[in-house]
Amino acid sequence: MATLKEMSRKEEILTGGHRLCAGCGASIVARQVLSATQNPVVVALATGCLEVSTTIYPHTAWRSSYIHNAFENVAATLSGVETAFRALKKRGKLEGDFDFIAFGGDGGTYDIGLQSLSGAMERGHDLLYVCYDNGAYMNTGIQRSSATPSGADTTTSPAGRVIPGKRENRKELTDIIAAHNIPYVAQAAPSNWKDMTRKAQKALESDGSTFLNTLAVCPRGWRTAEEKGIEITKLAVDTCFWPLFEVENGKWKLNYKPKEKLPLVEWLKVQGRFKHLFQKGNEEMLEKMQEYVDQRWQKILRLCGEE
Amino acid sequence: MTEKILMKGNEAIAEAGIRVGCRYFFGYPITPQNELPAYMSRRLPEVQGTFLQAESEVAAINMVYGAAGAGGRVMTSSSSPGISLKQEGISYLAGSELPCVIVNITRGGPGLGGIQPAQSDYFQATRGGGHGDYYTPVLAPQSVQEAVDLTMDAFDIADKYRNPVLVLGDGMIGQMMEPVEFKKEITPDQLPEKKWATNGAAGRKPNIINSLRLQPEKLEELNLKLQEKYMAMKKAEVRYETDNIEDAEYILVAFGTTARIVKSAADMAREVGMKVGIIRPITLFPFPEDVIAKASEKARFILTVEMSLGQMVEDVRLSAKGRCPVYFQGRTGGVVPKPGEILDNLKRLAGGGK
Repeated sequence: MATLKEMSRKEEILTGGHRLCAGCGASIVARQVLSATQNPVVVALATGCLEVSTTIYPHTAWRSSYIHNAFENVAATLSGVETAFRALKKRGKLEGDFDFIAFGGDGGTYDIGLQSLSGAMERGHDLLYVCYDNGAYMNTGIQRSSATPSGADTTTSPAGRVIPGKRENRKELTDIIAAHNIPYVAQAAPSNWKDMTRKAQKALESDGSTFLNTLAVCPRGWRTAEEKGIEITKLAVDTCFWPLFEVENGKWKLNYKPKEKLPLVEWLKVQGRFKHLFQKGNEEMLEKMQEYVDQRWQKILRLCGEE
Repeated sequence: MTEKILMKGNEAIAEAGIRVGCRYFFGYPITPQNELPAYMSRRLPEVQGTFLQAESEVAAINMVYGAAGAGGRVMTSSSSPGISLKQEGISYLAGSELPCVIVNITRGGPGLGGIQPAQSDYFQATRGGGHGDYYTPVLAPQSVQEAVDLTMDAFDIADKYRNPVLVLGDGMIGQMMEPVEFKKEITPDQLPEKKWATNGAAGRKPNIINSLRLQPEKLEELNLKLQEKYMAMKKAEVRYETDNIEDAEYILVAFGTTARIVKSAADMAREVGMKVGIIRPITLFPFPEDVIAKASEKARFILTVEMSLGQMVEDVRLSAKGRCPVYFQGRTGGVVPKPGEILDNLKRLAGGGK
């Protein structure tokens, strides 16, 4: 396990000069994950903020090999790359090891990319898929996704006088991928960087498909202060909205238990997308959201044998 | 109701749908059409309609299939890469004879392309687009007002023929703001009953909506029936606009956004004494063959201008049947041609320019 000092000396694979927004969580996630790599890296990106903003042709912010295809198929595309690599290696035309890493946002992973992701995981390609979940289609202008928390105001789940934002619960993708019985699945957050890099390293060292679901703050979509991103991410972890856990060869393990589990409103109240929930009449919505988080947390505790 | 308001193209198209009784919209994010589903997500609940954001374009178009089968006025929208994903569904809709309106706010391709306006989906739009022997009427507006009017008409054409209808805009039409008026206000209860819809068979024989015909003769029968519809569309639905073609020696052909630019070029050409006329196809399928055929009899040449590298020009050539030269000029990838470029080309082709 590399120390922070060693990691800080490692050459950045995602360099500066890209056009992601100030305070974007996606690049922080990508850089933390990439700091854990030990082999040459092949990066594949799904269409999304990270892709559009880091590869404005003819410029690129990537120092590694890089491939992008359409929106719904980064896992399939990287499956092809990894398969070709294995074939070439078998024939003695290539040597050494590579780290194959796909990054996709929640739209490209939870929604349109789920089919190709599931396919890749089931076939067991030796790759790591990292989802940077910022809870909406931010690249196209903040549309709801199946990762958007209930209650959030987005451009296609607008909060109005009658409807208080998104009405559906979010989908728990980490659990869905865990059900593929692959060697390593984990949920991480860039506020807990040590946990994140350890998980990335563990995933990359595993043989076969691995998956990392990460929470990525989006100041534009969450309507939060750019400089507060990590603090707000920490609140998501400490309110247990975003539990940190891993599933290694089918065994669930909790990686972080807040000393004091904070009420969900502590995380909600700092975000403009939930502002309407604090108006009179929406108390029930807040209660329901707290209830959902509590149930989820209890389930995670149970699965991790922490009860 | 005839009050003029300033609206963005995407939002105006959405409102136009609602004003002719569309209550079901299935969307998915893609630039440059995002304002359309966003508008629907706000507006449809106000009129007891349903907005759903699907998990993909494939899902959205199949939701359209479901709602259209149940007899609703249904709409979806996307932009080029998303429209490609919808093609399977559009083929099924055509095969099952389900009416709906599909809006393509076209952007540059191929692949992920860009997000600037383009007309390079002409082939896909006018040749069916998906698999099988089918066509969909394609309406191409050149202004926000026309986008409103054509969207309203699209629903009527769709219901009349039980066929999907495409509204082919582009990033420019979708994104720009212009004054519009909504000349109709129709609620779903004012629409004629769809006797073929699968909306409950109590008291009548069950209806069947299906595109599967395993017996070759039965499938051929379906195809022949569809062809009859397309022939009827060719007879009744052709729309175009002409400008100064009576005395024209040179004919410009363009649709949508490009037609506006061509208009400026034609005005500039007339000022320097060139007799230039314009034919603007409004329906791209059925294509206004006759007016182009007639113009080709006396024109010195026809110049087709497109935001692609030459797609509609094929239909223009098929219509002109070699009676006069048909030239092509285009910009692509999201680049919009300038009137000056077109004028220069006109002069060069006419032999009097630089």
